[in-house]
Amino acid sequence: MNTAHTIQDEWLLSYAAGALTPGRSLMVAAHAAYHDGLQEKVADAEAIGGALLDAVDLSNVDQRVLEHLLDNLNDAPPEIAAPRADEIFPDPLAEFVDGGADSLKWRFMGPGMSNVRLWNGPNDERLWLLRARGGIAMPEHGHNGDEWTLVLKGAFNTSQGRFAVGDMDIADDAMEHQPLIEQGEECICLVLTEGPLRFNSLAARMVQPLIGL
Amino acid sequence: MSLRLTTGNDHMQAQDSSKNTPDAAHFAALLQLIAEKRDRTAFVEIFEYFAPRVKSFLLGQGVAPAAADDVLQEVMLAVWNKAKLFDPKKAAPSTWIFAIARNKRIDRIRRETKPELDPEEPNLQPGAEEAADDAVLDTQRKSAVAEAMADLPQEQRICVELSFMKGLSHGEIAEHLRLPLGTVKSRIRLAFGRLRSELGDLQ
Repeated sequence: MNTAHTIQDEWLLSYAAGALTPGRSLMVAAHAAYHDGLQEKVADAEAIGGALLDAVDLSNVDQRVLEHLLDNLNDAPPEIAAPRADEIFPDPLAEFVDGGADSLKWRFMGPGMSNVRLWNGPNDERLWLLRARGGIAMPEHGHNGDEWTLVLKGAFNTSQGRFAVGDMDIADDAMEHQPLIEQGEECICLVLTEGPLRFNSLAARMVQPLIGL
Repeated sequence: MSLRLTTGNDHMQAQDSSKNTPDAAHFAALLQLIAEKRDRTAFVEIFEYFAPRVKSFLLGQGVAPAAADDVLQEVMLAVWNKAKLFDPKKAAPSTWIFAIARNKRIDRIRRETKPELDPEEPNLQPGAEEAADDAVLDTQRKSAVAEAMADLPQEQRICVELSFMKGLSHGEIAEHLRLPLGTVKSRIRLAFGRLRSELGDLQ
């Protein structure tokens, strides 16, 4: 595992604690799906949660909650759906979109690029998928907040190095950033941005309202 | 290294069982009864121990009191339906149930926000979180993790507690404690590293 391209521990703890937005939670869960080391840390942080749950003050629970549950429990052994095996999407993402890359409606975003918007949240957070042809340069852009990019297929290069499947590129609002998709294979990424991207070229700014990013 | 302190196996091997969460092995056995025998009595016992705790956790993290019983039902129903997936070698029962509760709460927030809406729409903003009863730790029931937490420097511990008990992001903790964002992140990182190494030593 290239630790330079994995997320830092404070995010794993906040994920385990339930302290991230749904978009960031999905990013961390999908990222961890590629790395046993991250999963182990998440399990450790969840054990903190379990211990806190044991020690928390008790709330009153209305007896009707239990009665209602008992009326509705199914005695038949439950069908437990096998994790959706998808060639490209890790399990948490396949579950989130309820399908694979080819089940989604990809929208034109620029030459050789398309995207799917998955979720918008507080603080103008946007969770989306990017699909780009091998060899193309993403328009140079800055951010108004964080930008997290998890590689699901293919690879790209930035000034921070090479990012391949399972790697997470974390850029903050101070960074100007022009990912270059590697020649050959297409690249698919799960991206979380805060606020609209700031494109530097006029052409990219002109299409920005159309692509909704 | 791992913190799986309170699993059924650990319980049998543990030299000092007082380090274990109360009755982890017992709850693991109940979950197994639910999975294999669809045992309602076992479910009621699990409910009676965990439901008041899960509800405190949900309220602490900002679930509205009016919605808390709803989410609680979803959590307990998932315990009944997914008991087969519980693996005592991987997690303690309280850890497994904690993670279910966390996921149900996040799912609910996600369902309340839809992808095609304009993020400027006021109804997409998270609701003003209602003041819930403070979910305070009961010092009478300190587990090994709680003991290790108590040994953390206070400024680190509070950042971890605000994450778990209030569901606050790094930015929200920074605002709450009037600290720079970087300070909050490094305190959480340090606290987590310390907890992992201390609890790893117990194994």
